Amino acid sequence: MEIKTTGVAGTLESSDIQIMISKGSNGIELDLDSEVKKAYGDQITKVITETLQKFGLENAKVKATDKGALDCVIEARTLAAAQRATETTDEPKLEVL
Amino acid sequence: MDRVVDLYLNEPATRKRWEAFLSQLDIHNFSDREIDVIDHTLGLLDEDGKLVGTGSIAGNVLKYIAVCNKDAVVGARFNKIVTALQQYLFNERIFHSFVFTKLKYSSSFQHLGFTELAHSDQAAFLESGTPNVEDYLDELPKIADQANKKVTAVVMNANPFTLGHLHLVEEASKSNDLVYVFVVATDLSLFNSQERLKLVQAGLKQLKNVVVVSGEDYMVSSATFPAYFLQSPEDLIQTQTTIDARVFKNIIAPKLNISSRFLGEEPKSHTTSIYNLVLKKELEPSIAVKIIPRLELGGELITATQIRREIKAGNLDQIKSFVPETTFEFIESNLAELQQRIKEGMNINGN
Amino acid sequence: MTYVKNRLRRTMMFVPGNNPAMIKDAGIYGADSIMLDLEDSVSLTEKDAARLLVYEAIKTVDFGGAEVVVRVNGQDTPYYDQDVKAMVKAGVDVIRLPKTESAEMIQKLVKDIEKWEDEFGIERGTIGVMAAIESAKGVLHAPEIAESSDLMMGLAVSGEDYTADMHTHRYPDGRELEFARNMVLQAARAAGVYAFDTVFSNMKDTEGFYRETNYIHELGYDGKSLVNPRQIEMVNKVFNPTKEEIEDAQNVQNAIREARAKGSGVISMNGKMVDKPVVEKANRVLETAKASHLIDEEGNYLGE
Repeated sequence: MEIKTTGVAGTLESSDIQIMISKGSNGIELDLDSEVKKAYGDQITKVITETLQKFGLENAKVKATDKGALDCVIEARTLAAAQRATETTDEPKLEVL
Repeated sequence: MDRVVDLYLNEPATRKRWEAFLSQLDIHNFSDREIDVIDHTLGLLDEDGKLVGTGSIAGNVLKYIAVCNKDAVVGARFNKIVTALQQYLFNERIFHSFVFTKLKYSSSFQHLGFTELAHSDQAAFLESGTPNVEDYLDELPKIADQANKKVTAVVMNANPFTLGHLHLVEEASKSNDLVYVFVVATDLSLFNSQERLKLVQAGLKQLKNVVVVSGEDYMVSSATFPAYFLQSPEDLIQTQTTIDARVFKNIIAPKLNISSRFLGEEPKSHTTSIYNLVLKKELEPSIAVKIIPRLELGGELITATQIRREIKAGNLDQIKSFVPETTFEFIESNLAELQQRIKEGMNINGN
Repeated sequence: MTYVKNRLRRTMMFVPGNNPAMIKDAGIYGADSIMLDLEDSVSLTEKDAARLLVYEAIKTVDFGGAEVVVRVNGQDTPYYDQDVKAMVKAGVDVIRLPKTESAEMIQKLVKDIEKWEDEFGIERGTIGVMAAIESAKGVLHAPEIAESSDLMMGLAVSGEDYTADMHTHRYPDGRELEFARNMVLQAARAAGVYAFDTVFSNMKDTEGFYRETNYIHELGYDGKSLVNPRQIEMVNKVFNPTKEEIEDAQNVQNAIREARAKGSGVISMNGKMVDKPVVEKANRVLETAKASHLIDEEGNYLGE
């Protein structure tokens, strides 16, 4: 999968997470901002990274602003952002979830 | 549940309601300078249809953000309006945004993933999204072993690039290993950003230790700095300059190993002389400020303002002796277009 | 999750499909049905993201035993196909089609569902459909719509769009909806499917909400659409059977039991025959009573 543009999904509202994906060349470079980073930072990182890998992105810059999202929300937002970044929103890759 | 709606400020009733709401929240400056640049405005309505929040977009800048937290979870409305503004920008394919705000709101924006670039005792300047300032600095050209070299910087609007600008950069070039020339990137000038950048690059081509780049959004211009949230409009130049100086000193200079900055002396312009004073106060001692006297030709100071007046008057002969060949060629072949811009209302007396 | 044609459906709570906080909590309020919305509450630019969020939520969030309904985007939008596909794959209970105006529209929905069921190896008939009636045309075609498919779960009146189509708007007394409410209910009853009333959005007017809910309950509606969880308890209160109704229903069940024990094919009570509508009504009353904790598992009355 090739990143064609910057893709963002999710909001800054409670229980959500905003994921912004742009071109990168050094694997998945994640910049995570979360109030629960100490306790759940590793888990959030894992969910985002695995979702992107399943989707087929190996290199990407990811900025995530977490507002206490559940794993299922993180997955859905990551996939939505990835599909927007690769301009493939017309064909949802449900199998990633 | 609150809902986000589009507000069209050209509707007198909407505009009145919007201003009344903001006035309650202690925002009172609705001057044309602030309003005319707004591209879009959103409102937040509660279940009764009452306006409980608003925010606007001007280019890539978020403005006039205000929420009433009565009967709501603190922060929820703020998050909602900022999210909605960002979604508006994303749809416009703008993924990098800025906010200038009262210092006390800086932390609220930081909670939403904004990064503070600088603050003064009144205002804060933050960015969000990509590419950010780190990406910008990473992309700038560098030289080998820059950390141990003598590096300086010149910031200019160059509207247009004159022999005066050339003289300033030559002075910087003589005493340094590397000179970054940052061209201010606002489009409120007779010569647009692209044109100014090209003319500066062309005019400095012969100086091998000079790198000409766009200052993008990180050279904060007084022309675009929002003043609506400041206590008084007189605070504008002071606040803008302080913010601009601190971004330069704390973020830009360290990464590029810049240890000094060259400025042109400014006997004529009130704005620029305050700017120079504040800059000196802010940057020193960590960044040495070198103020270079203006170049005079035949007893006359060279200013870009003068060039623009000559363009309006069509005095190509006058212009020729004050600008490098490259700038002159551009003016000569685009004279009609430039005069047209002036005719259409482009202010030529500012910067 | 599997579609159950007959079940208690007093409350159908609307939840915006792009709002994780509300989706996450949707199951805790005790709504009989939860309607996750991909249509009106989701802005055009967020349709793709909401679809993925709802898909993921259906697969992972505990909705507390509520029936899960998804309102997809209309058949005249570019989102409809992918919405249906994703919801079939997610295993939703019921798909609600907005702006339904004909039997063909429901038949198309059923065909589309079957197509995706086949593709994903899901057994056909595990997902129900329902029609939102939101226009004059929809109301006049309610009978054919109600009978358009074996998978039809019910019809819902949608007051906002309907009144706009009728060149009026919502009034507190509801006279503007009188014809539509009656027509849709008749059609639903004739076809043996459920009927749902429209939302009442002025949260501050509690009295008005009770007035409207009592009214549609009197008409014979099965349930009401809601936008706010606070309204669930209010609807349940209105739909609660009285002590006498519960006792009657229990007697019907006793009569059935006795007749079965005797091996008799004819069930009678108080000298009258207990026929199918009576049995069904008794079952509905007891189911409602149990759900509202008015009786316990043994049938002991717990109300005041």
